[in-house]
Amino acid sequence: MSASYVYFFGCVIPNRYPGVEYAVRWVTGKEGFDLDVKDQKQFSCCPVPGIFYSSDKDTWLLLAARNLVLAQNERRQILTVCNGCLASLMKATEYLQDPKTMGKVNKTLAQIGKKYTGIAEKSEGRRKIFGPVKVRHYVEVMARDVGYEEIAKRTKHSLKNIKVAVHYGCHYLRPTEHAAFDDPNDPVMIDNIVEACGATSVDYEDRLDCCGAGGGVRSHVTELANSLTQDKCTNIAAAGADCIVTGCPFCLLQFDNAQKSFSKDGIPVMHVSQFQALAMGIDPISLGFDTHHVSAHSLLRKLRGS
Amino acid sequence: MKEQEKEVEKVFIGGLHEELVEDKVIDESQLEPDFPDEIKKYGGKDVMTCLQCGNCTGVCPISLKIDYKTRNIIKCCQFGLKKYTLGTRWVCATCYRCYEHCPADLNPAEVMIALRHIAVREGIIPPFIKTAATNLVKYGQSVKPDSEIDKIRSELDLGLIHSQDPEYHTVIREIQVLVHATKYDKLIGIQDEVKV
Repeated sequence: MSASYVYFFGCVIPNRYPGVEYAVRWVTGKEGFDLDVKDQKQFSCCPVPGIFYSSDKDTWLLLAARNLVLAQNERRQILTVCNGCLASLMKATEYLQDPKTMGKVNKTLAQIGKKYTGIAEKSEGRRKIFGPVKVRHYVEVMARDVGYEEIAKRTKHSLKNIKVAVHYGCHYLRPTEHAAFDDPNDPVMIDNIVEACGATSVDYEDRLDCCGAGGGVRSHVTELANSLTQDKCTNIAAAGADCIVTGCPFCLLQFDNAQKSFSKDGIPVMHVSQFQALAMGIDPISLGFDTHHVSAHSLLRKLRGS
Repeated sequence: MKEQEKEVEKVFIGGLHEELVEDKVIDESQLEPDFPDEIKKYGGKDVMTCLQCGNCTGVCPISLKIDYKTRNIIKCCQFGLKKYTLGTRWVCATCYRCYEHCPADLNPAEVMIALRHIAVREGIIPPFIKTAATNLVKYGQSVKPDSEIDKIRSELDLGLIHSQDPEYHTVIREIQVLVHATKYDKLIGIQDEVKV
């Protein structure tokens, strides 16, 4: 039986980048890979690690556990589209493997009529897999459950002239115990997806560096976050990339917003799902590029020319 | 160093550098020996196991930019120099590079998280924490809905954001019950938004 999922879009995508939501629904839906995935309207914020995990772990764990219970009751895997949601929910499953912590959480969850029953089912490398709730990243589902061959087969409009700078984002890679679905020192999944779409993934200096936004830095000291992004963008521009593709909407937000502080045009940036949708022949108007601050026109023009 | 970065350093590192470098004598009365235990209480590991090797600083993306040196902060924690460590810990990007490179398996990123917990309990709460927490108890999400985005959503036929669904008030209520149960509302100062 193939896996069934439940969408977990988080906060940034629905409220800032609706085009990403559209792309994910389209790529996983009937016109795409037709995965068994449904909505769960009761989900709340994951909650965001830079705020809640940083200020009160008890509250963070309760709110994360509430989301996990909803997925557990659906008997579906959580399909996150965001590195932050992945880190938060995955970390919560780890905290909850301690019976004492789980008991304490369930005592409070009882006030809202919920109970978490997850148990560690097996270990995969350094990562523990929990049942019944499995937290999956969109990129991992594309790479493993759909497969690069299938992605290549469904590519209608090969993006062969496009040079892509892939940005993974910290919480996709680290801490390594739970992000171990890809190689944390030399991750390949997004690169392979990009290549399966016909494009070229270019190497650039310090490609695994942080975008600068995480942990509340963007909200607290925007200039500092932007200064880190500037370093990345300088390296990306030096590699001659046409666009930046990332698996994390918060990195996307940072690249998209920060670039206007130090450059006039900027390098277009998009989520890996938007890039896939382009290759699969979607009308770019549906990808909501008008909500992006850095215009995608340069890229779209190049696509039309190729 | 750029002007802008200097300014950032002055404001957010609270002059840590100047205070420690300028021939300043730190007398015993400033040391709080229980500080390492307090860090442990909030989920940090034992800072006394730090070898002061400096790997954490070497790999820290923030330390490249401003005078924020992870190793220094851990040293301050060891000494119990609490007041030097609290106002400043919101510049850690939690990228967990220090964790991967720490030979003592101390996980400096989690120490920073513990310092944030302590700072919040001392009343040092950056405004964005309050904003996000307010958004959470009001909309169920940390990011505030935007009417311009809603227009685009309807053009794309994406339907309502969950938080605008009439049924969503039960979710808001559940969130508020949980936030109230841990007294988080009082801690952050958002009691007025929580109606339980």
